[in-house]
Amino acid sequence: MTYLVLALLFIAAAVIAGAAFTRAAFARPPFAGKDGAPGERGRHWKAVGLAFAALAVLTAVFDSVMIGLELFHYDPAHILGLRVGLAPIEDFAYPLAGVVALPGLWVWLTRRSRAPQPNLKGLVPQALLASRPVSWINTAYPFAAAMLLTTREIDWVVIVGTFYFLIPYNLAMYGINDVFDYESDLKNPRKGGIEGALLQPHLHRPMLWLAAITNVPFLVVLAFAGGPAAWVSLAVSAFAVVAYSAAGLRFKERPVLDSLTSSTHFVSPAVVGLALAGANVTPGLLILLAAFFLWGMAAHAFGAVQDIEPDRQAGIGSIATVIGARRTVRLAVVLWLVAGLAMLATPWPGPLAAIIAVPYIINCAPYWNVTDTTAARTNVAWRRFIWLNYGSGFLVTLIFILQWSLTS
Amino acid sequence: MGVLYLGSLLLGIGCMLLLDHRFRLFFWRDATAAAIVTAVGVLFLLAWDLAGIGLGIFLRGEGTIATGLLIAPELPIEEPVFLLFLVLCTMVLYTGARRMLERIPARQREREKENA
Repeated sequence: MTYLVLALLFIAAAVIAGAAFTRAAFARPPFAGKDGAPGERGRHWKAVGLAFAALAVLTAVFDSVMIGLELFHYDPAHILGLRVGLAPIEDFAYPLAGVVALPGLWVWLTRRSRAPQPNLKGLVPQALLASRPVSWINTAYPFAAAMLLTTREIDWVVIVGTFYFLIPYNLAMYGINDVFDYESDLKNPRKGGIEGALLQPHLHRPMLWLAAITNVPFLVVLAFAGGPAAWVSLAVSAFAVVAYSAAGLRFKERPVLDSLTSSTHFVSPAVVGLALAGANVTPGLLILLAAFFLWGMAAHAFGAVQDIEPDRQAGIGSIATVIGARRTVRLAVVLWLVAGLAMLATPWPGPLAAIIAVPYIINCAPYWNVTDTTAARTNVAWRRFIWLNYGSGFLVTLIFILQWSLTS
Repeated sequence: MGVLYLGSLLLGIGCMLLLDHRFRLFFWRDATAAAIVTAVGVLFLLAWDLAGIGLGIFLRGEGTIATGLLIAPELPIEEPVFLLFLVLCTMVLYTGARRMLERIPARQREREKENA
């Protein structure tokens, strides 16, 4: 390929981008008001022309100087041979592409400083706060542990993936949730009406954009790093994040599906990690994942009990509103019990993890006979959860270290 | 001598930023947008460089005023600095031209429209 063809390709890209940005920047209705869009747009292209004229002169002079001083040169077979001074004519493509595309991007980016400005202040802090930093580890840990225990080394995939499941993943999960819960939060007396609703409507669209922008690149990179198993698990993971709360799907309002989806939020990072690491699928591994999944379902179901009253008032369904507080608590306890027993069937040192089920069962057993009217009291036990989870994480880590030392 | 080119580029960048500062054109008007434009511009032109190098079109010179440090094959450390300068220069020229065009009295603009 010659320099000319290369330059034309990049100029074409620049022209398309420049035209698109300019169009988008000046197509906004606010511009049509005072000044009229044609005037703005005309001045934009005039300024581009003036800037290019100046750049062309500068290029002719300084490119010649730079080539004269032997800073760089070109393979003669690849250039037309037409020169301005010492500068090959193709070198003017650089400033041309820059001046066509970049001012367009600039006017598009700064259009809001002239148009009435949606106030994005507080979006990022609010998104971070809403994403519950205290729980970030709950999704990053399963991924990191699954990958590390399989590959036994820290490579870039471990680092990128752990970061993804630490922050962007949680941003998306809770960000999407806050946007689509806005309506029901407004109706929910427990959430304090308008003041209690976390995310103001003007931030809804930016929040969804933030979720997309922070997630899609990571998903693409991780998909790139793995094979079909990773693609499927990443797709399931991302789907569960969206489907849980997004309008139209709202899995969180579909009894049983709500607990299944919620548990997927925590188990799927581990599955992605295993897929990326190319783990061997053994019965022990499947039992471990199943136990983890049951643990997650139990956690979700029990968490729903405290909200029975407000959820019913707001007309929201959940596993707890459908089968009632008592049966939900009992179901959760049974799920934890089964999860613990399942661990006993895994290869050593897996059975040690069975003990982790005990504190959860003890924490919830007092509510064995809870009624729908006393359901709100389970909030006390729910708040102990976070700390129980940290304790469990600690025990799990010890078991992993033991496993590591036994197998290396 | 080895740092002459790099030094000149940095000096040029400094001058562009002075103009920017004096007339509040680019970074001093909207720092976030300016940072995005600059990053996009430099990365775009750098991709172009790498494509040219990969295709064997661009060859590094042995000029004595360059440091000779490479960040990739045929890609001297000065190149991204040059591209940064080019982007800043482009944007200062463009925003400056816009400023001048906006200063043309409205009446004159209307006359232009009538003529057109």
